[in-house]
Amino acid sequence: MIDLAKKIEAPATIDITAYAGATEAIRAEAAKLLTEGAVAAVIGYIPGRRNGTAIPAIVTSPEKAQELIFSPACVNNLALYLTRAKKEVKGKGRLAVVAKGCDMRALAGLMGESQLKREDVVIIGVACAGVYGSGADRDAPLAEKNIARKCRECRVHAPEGADVVAGSLPPLPEFSPVEAEELARLEAMTPAARWAFWKEHFSRCIRCMACRSLCPFCYCEQCICDRNRPQAVEATPRPAGNMAWHIVRAMHLAGRCAGCAECERACPMDIPLNLLNRKMARELKELYGHEAGLEPKEKGPLNEYREDDDQSFIK
Amino acid sequence: MSRIGVFVCHCGENISRTVDVERVAQAAARLPGVAYATDYKYMCSDPGQSLLKKAIAEHNLDGVVVAACSPRMHEKTFRKAAEATGLNPFVCEMANIREHCSWVHEDREEATAKAIDIVKLMAARVRRNRRLAAITVPVTKRALVIGGGIAGIQAALDIADAGHEVVLVEREPSIGGHMAQLSETFPTLDCSQCIMTPKMVDVANHPKITLHTYSEIEEVGGYIGNFQVTVRKKARSVDMAKCTGCGVCMAKCPQKKIPNAFDKDMGTRPAIYVPFPQAVPNTPVIDRENCTYFKSGKCGVCAKVCGPCAVDYTQQDELVTEQIGAIVVATGFDLYSIEPKPADSPIQGYGEFGYGTIPDVIDGMTFERLASASGPTGGKILRPSDGKEPKEVVFIQCVGSRAREKGISYCSKICCMYTAKHTMLYKHKVHDGQAYVFFMDARTPGKNYDEFWRRAIEEEEAVYIRGMVSRLYQKGDKVVVMGSDISVGIQVEIEADLVVLATAVQARKGADTLAQKLGISYDKYNFYSEAHAKLKPVECATAGIYLAGACQGPKDIPDTVSQASAAAAKVMTLFAKDQLEREPIVARVNERFCAACFACKKVCPYGAVEEKEIRDRQGNLIRVVASVNPGVCGGCGTCQATCPSKSVELDGYTDEQVMAMIEAL
Ligand SMILES: Cc1cc2nc3c(=O)[nH]c(=O)nc-3n(C[C@H](O)[C@H](O)[C@H](O)COP(=O)(O)OP(=O)(O)OC[C@H]3O[C@@H](n4cnc5c(N)ncnc54)[C@H](O)[C@@H]3O)c2cc1C
Ligand code: SF4
Ligand code: SF4
Ligand code: SF4
Ligand code: SF4
Repeated sequence: MIDLAKKIEAPATIDITAYAGATEAIRAEAAKLLTEGAVAAVIGYIPGRRNGTAIPAIVTSPEKAQELIFSPACVNNLALYLTRAKKEVKGKGRLAVVAKGCDMRALAGLMGESQLKREDVVIIGVACAGVYGSGADRDAPLAEKNIARKCRECRVHAPEGADVVAGSLPPLPEFSPVEAEELARLEAMTPAARWAFWKEHFSRCIRCMACRSLCPFCYCEQCICDRNRPQAVEATPRPAGNMAWHIVRAMHLAGRCAGCAECERACPMDIPLNLLNRKMARELKELYGHEAGLEPKEKGPLNEYREDDDQSFIK
Repeated sequence: MSRIGVFVCHCGENISRTVDVERVAQAAARLPGVAYATDYKYMCSDPGQSLLKKAIAEHNLDGVVVAACSPRMHEKTFRKAAEATGLNPFVCEMANIREHCSWVHEDREEATAKAIDIVKLMAARVRRNRRLAAITVPVTKRALVIGGGIAGIQAALDIADAGHEVVLVEREPSIGGHMAQLSETFPTLDCSQCIMTPKMVDVANHPKITLHTYSEIEEVGGYIGNFQVTVRKKARSVDMAKCTGCGVCMAKCPQKKIPNAFDKDMGTRPAIYVPFPQAVPNTPVIDRENCTYFKSGKCGVCAKVCGPCAVDYTQQDELVTEQIGAIVVATGFDLYSIEPKPADSPIQGYGEFGYGTIPDVIDGMTFERLASASGPTGGKILRPSDGKEPKEVVFIQCVGSRAREKGISYCSKICCMYTAKHTMLYKHKVHDGQAYVFFMDARTPGKNYDEFWRRAIEEEEAVYIRGMVSRLYQKGDKVVVMGSDISVGIQVEIEADLVVLATAVQARKGADTLAQKLGISYDKYNFYSEAHAKLKPVECATAGIYLAGACQGPKDIPDTVSQASAAAAKVMTLFAKDQLEREPIVARVNERFCAACFACKKVCPYGAVEEKEIRDRQGNLIRVVASVNPGVCGGCGTCQATCPSKSVELDGYTDEQVMAMIEAL
């Protein structure tokens, strides 16, 4: 839990030296697991080729484990590599994965959907104060202008349910709640204005499917959007097909999306995908009291019927 | 299928009155894949079916659309006809242009256009139909009968006599139901116990019948021929195997003052009891709510006095699972009471009759207990308040029944007859007494029924007053009955010693919960629904489940027994086969694309989805996918709607077919 008092007194920037401690702890834990043979590989981050970047890596030896890092550049959600579809990864054997609080939620979701068994994975949680937003200045310390949007209102800085937690949290400043404001603006719109808003955004979609490739929950072996017998969703980037794709995406992720915002980060067209995800999450919370990824669930709210379900929306 | 034949039926005038069937046939002939189209007056008739068969042969058809009534009505008929020509029956489909079109529309132009659209849809579907093979499943030749009233007893005996095993589950400590409570029965006035008890004993002694009393249905799974039923055997606190039925425990139990529900609370019973002396089984149960031992840990007298040490306070509820092929539901009825009802109930009580607070206003079943030789008064008619013999008794019919303002609009069917019976029983016991009956009209169809009613008036001198009672109230030791006699148009007031209400027959409390476990439907009054009011009066719409007795609607004993035997006959018909053919409309998983999320498994209401391991030749596990057990799948399509990647589809309703149907419009 975040200490609120600490948060208020805290400076407006995050002291990123705390990340060095996390790096040390991850390296030590990874090396230990690999030496003991407890896992066949550790999925973590190593430095990217450009300065101030990090990329996902799968390390299989204690020596290689010394290259692992944790920094505000470690944006990727590594849960992606643990779905069944990633056979080459899972084929290696028992795995360890480095997971931020938001990534933990995706792991819990995958466990609830039979993609992953808790006993098959060692989770190295990291205390994460935040990561860089896309296109952010990576030389400056983490602050209001370069922290990722999702990190501003994050409630899972300290991951729960991990096997070990690497690092500790520096004092956390208060950031302006842009995500909440954005959602409030969306909800204040008339249905017609909201439809126009999304139509405009979706019309720009080039159907590169980067959002789908990065989403840990888009693990289907064949997406319904790629089917052609019958074709459910037009494949070319034209308005009708785009709208259909985005409705399918929103509905298929409703109640499952862990809020890692990887889709939004990946989108070359700057479509506010996570805004839609958050709107869907809010609906499910209000209707069914459901929040995705807090624990592995047997059935999501959209797969279940209970007599006391709120049905007032059926008019 | 590329050579489809379309056959448009007039259904006499049922369809052709509003739909231009000729035009529908002409339009059908031009549809892609359709090789032949025609119309005919009665497709289901013998000449109609011959026409279909001839056309299949002559035009070398490979698919059939019959545009006629609901598939529920005749799909089987036409599939059989198509099969007789060598065609796969599942490439023959019906387009419903009767219920979905001619019956619900008036405008001929529009109805015709809609009928053409419906035919278009089905032709598009048949074009993409696959030739399916029927699925056979084994039949477990073991029946479950729920409820041990006369209905359940009769059904169980019939099925067991045919040589099949029967499991009879009764909620109460003894079988018998309402009939065990009756004194004498119309229309012959034979003693109810005398004709009932031998049948109860037959049940207990029948080698093919397993009797679970004091038991309830916990869970029902599976499907026709293959149900799995879990029965909760409530803790009796007496070991059935050891108890000899000597009754010492009951005699010695110090708790003696518990109202006896079997006697409508007029007599009392001990805390360890059998509901009535002829109970089957004759093994007592401990009513734990009223037993001193269970309330305070003291006492234990029954255990001390029991010779064979059968009393067991530590007994727990026990769950037994039975493999069952067919189910007969015979849970009977409850009687309406005039007490106030909860505010949200659609059914009301009778404030004008004192809401059940006047002691000498009783219901018909209470009167039965008074008149019964084994009842609390030993068969003397004595009123509850002061035990005096009533000299003027008023019977009121249709209390609750046919009273829309009270929330029940149906006729309870048995009350006219049992009230006539009550006036006679009363006259036989109180020779100088006078019976009055307020009635709306007498409904006495049935063999010797009207004669019976006339006898009550003509020979036993009951006074029948056609009219309603507006108020009942206590005055001194009398109950004042204020009513009207509409045949002469006057108000009547009678100071009665006893008033007997013929209260409505209602569905059992909790009938809906049991129905939900069984997956059968019920009407707004919670009576169980038959599959067809005329042609399938004992079958439920759910295959393999049958109805007997008053759980389906108010019924007297002759009707109940007939229906019970009919239900038994249906079970025997089912058990005459070793294998059951069922429609192959089942889900199929595309294993190549299944992502193993098992959303389908979570939502399947039939528990048909299993996890299947795919291994290579060396036996290494490659992956796990979903797999549907075709014997269990109910063909509901829930999995298909749920699967995010559409890797599971229902045969006959694939996405490809459904999309083609939509596109055909
Ligand atoms: C006052 C009165 C007088 C009548 N007089 C006559 C007459 O003279 N002649 C005549 O022909 N008919 C008469 N009847 C009608 C007769 O009582 C019924 O026709 C007959 O009892 C119907 O039998 P049944 O087996 O369907 O129902 P019931 O007798 O109600 O038996 C149902 C049985 O199922 C059991 N049960 C209920 N729910 C469950 C459950 N969930 N699980 C397990 N067991 C369950 C009950 O405990 C009961 O034993 C009279 C009815 C009344 C009310
Ligand atoms: S990443 Fe953006 S552009 Fe690409 S498919 Fe997704 S929404 Fe469309
Ligand atoms: S049987 Fe007779 S008394 Fe009973 S409800 Fe019907 S009409 Fe009324
Ligand atoms: S829902 Fe679809 S993808 Fe998931 S297990 Fe079932 S068939 Fe496979
Ligand atoms: S259609 Fe699917 S959900 Fe329905 S019973 Fe069959 S397998 Fe289960």
